[in-house]
Amino acid sequence: MSLKKQDDMDHNAWLKSQDLTAIETAFLTTLIWLDKRLRIVDYLELLETMYYRANLQMPKSHTEQYDLDNKFWYWYPLYSLGSLSIIAYLLAAVSGAMLGFYYAPSTAGAAAQGDPTAAYDSMVMIMQDVQFGFMLRSIHRWAAQFMVAAVFLHMLRVYFTGAYKEPREVNWILGVVLIALTLLFGFSGYVLPWKQLSFWAAQIGVELALATPIVGEWAAQLLFGGFTLGQATLVRMYILHVFVLPFVVTALIAIHVGIVWVQGIAEPH
Amino acid sequence: MTDDTTPMTDGGTDDEARTDGGPPATVPPDDETPTWSDRKERSQGLAQLTYQYFERSRREDEDLRAESTYVERDVLGFPTWPHETIRNLAITSFFLGMILLVASILPSHFGDPANAGSTPAIILPDWYLYWSFGLLKLSPINPDLAVLGGNIIVSNELYGLIAHGAIFGVITLVPFLNKGNARRPVEEPGWAALGVTGVILAITLAVLAIQNFFPVPLELLFSLVFMLPVAGGVITYAVLKTMREGYMYDLNRRYYMLRPPK
Ligand code: HEM
Repeated sequence: MSLKKQDDMDHNAWLKSQDLTAIETAFLTTLIWLDKRLRIVDYLELLETMYYRANLQMPKSHTEQYDLDNKFWYWYPLYSLGSLSIIAYLLAAVSGAMLGFYYAPSTAGAAAQGDPTAAYDSMVMIMQDVQFGFMLRSIHRWAAQFMVAAVFLHMLRVYFTGAYKEPREVNWILGVVLIALTLLFGFSGYVLPWKQLSFWAAQIGVELALATPIVGEWAAQLLFGGFTLGQATLVRMYILHVFVLPFVVTALIAIHVGIVWVQGIAEPH
Repeated sequence: MTDDTTPMTDGGTDDEARTDGGPPATVPPDDETPTWSDRKERSQGLAQLTYQYFERSRREDEDLRAESTYVERDVLGFPTWPHETIRNLAITSFFLGMILLVASILPSHFGDPANAGSTPAIILPDWYLYWSFGLLKLSPINPDLAVLGGNIIVSNELYGLIAHGAIFGVITLVPFLNKGNARRPVEEPGWAALGVTGVILAITLAVLAIQNFFPVPLELLFSLVFMLPVAGGVITYAVLKTMREGYMYDLNRRYYMLRPPK
């Protein structure tokens, strides 16, 4: 009898008593070695739980319960429009971040009226000199347009399937805010290259802001940095486009999808 | 708590020589933490109302669950993996692929640099804002007052803004105006017709924004902008009303077979 304290959990002895292949032995030895030091069994258990959660057994859906599946499968793609908005949004975010490496939000450099500014020149540089730059800009623009289209169609899907009814009113209102912000995203981005159409679109924006009663001048100051367009306008549109809106829209989308998660998708009846 | 035998951090027991301030005085005695029912009884006003409502709502849940005939079975719905995941991957790659394809065959236009001194003949935003731009061109129907000698009451810009506000306002209110359980367009032809009217209006307003490209007299275009949506709505209503009878019969039969009315 040994004086050494008996190990109740002698894993190595257990390992030897098993009839294992070389691969199994190597695997178990490594696992035991790591587990003694890091107790990874806990984390593996967490992973396992997550695996089962992902394969959740869901209650029978309305569609199944009333055996409507044969009628409904061809509507399913419409239910992916919300996710497609998110995907387009992500693509625009990634390509936009890369455009941000080269773009300069500045109206400096124009000697006379109508000369190219630094912002304009940086856009030309992106399209002509930067490797893949033209494609990058193209991807960003089209991702934005696909996003707006997807959001609009998503709204129509929600409208025509009556998915906004109780208890989903809050999400509908959030959606209205989201579509407005998406359009504002597009507008502020449109101004950034500081080309003719950018400038005159912004001009219309200022005029509209100024036409608003009571808060008009304040709004024009806030959004456009003054009553005539210039450097201040460009920087404000830039900050709106690359700082304020990304945070706000991302947060709102997270809440929007979180609510869908909590409430479940409204199934067609 | 502080008796002479409580050892100090240095192991001594002489209270006079205490330097560690003694045991903490703020530890709540465990047995005095109020239970939930204690709290409920003690609370008053809004807190009590909240508790009362929560209790009701919990009981409601329990009752509903008890009387539910909900059918459950072992595997319900598509598993997330692999069914949903593969389907979503397929849809996602198709969508990303479409964006990349379009981006590469239709690269974006780029114009002249901004010039505050020369207004371009055509000012346009991106296509998805055409409808909004169209709303700003409603000046011909901006009402004027005879009393004011034919002067308009609000500026044309403000008129356009108000139109935007009205549209967003109506859209926001939809869930509060249309209630009930109906989901399908056939069940509510009126609301479906309204939706179709809205969609067509968005399109015709966009056309109004790019009126220069249409060789139609402005008068006519203006009428069409409002007549087409209404026409679309009426047709939708008529079609859905016609479909409704047979359709609702089927639907109701299926409903009430499975969930007979109480
Ligand atoms: C940035 C824009 C938006 C994003 C990323 C987004 C995302 C989503 C997603 C992923 C869903 C899950 C169901 C589905 O995909 O169809 C959803 C549901 C929903 N969305 Fe949006 N959405 C946006 C804009 C809107 C707009 C403009 C509206 C309406 C005005 C809206 C109203 C709703 C409602 C009511 C639901 C619940 C529908 C149901 O349960 O069937 N959302 N949204």
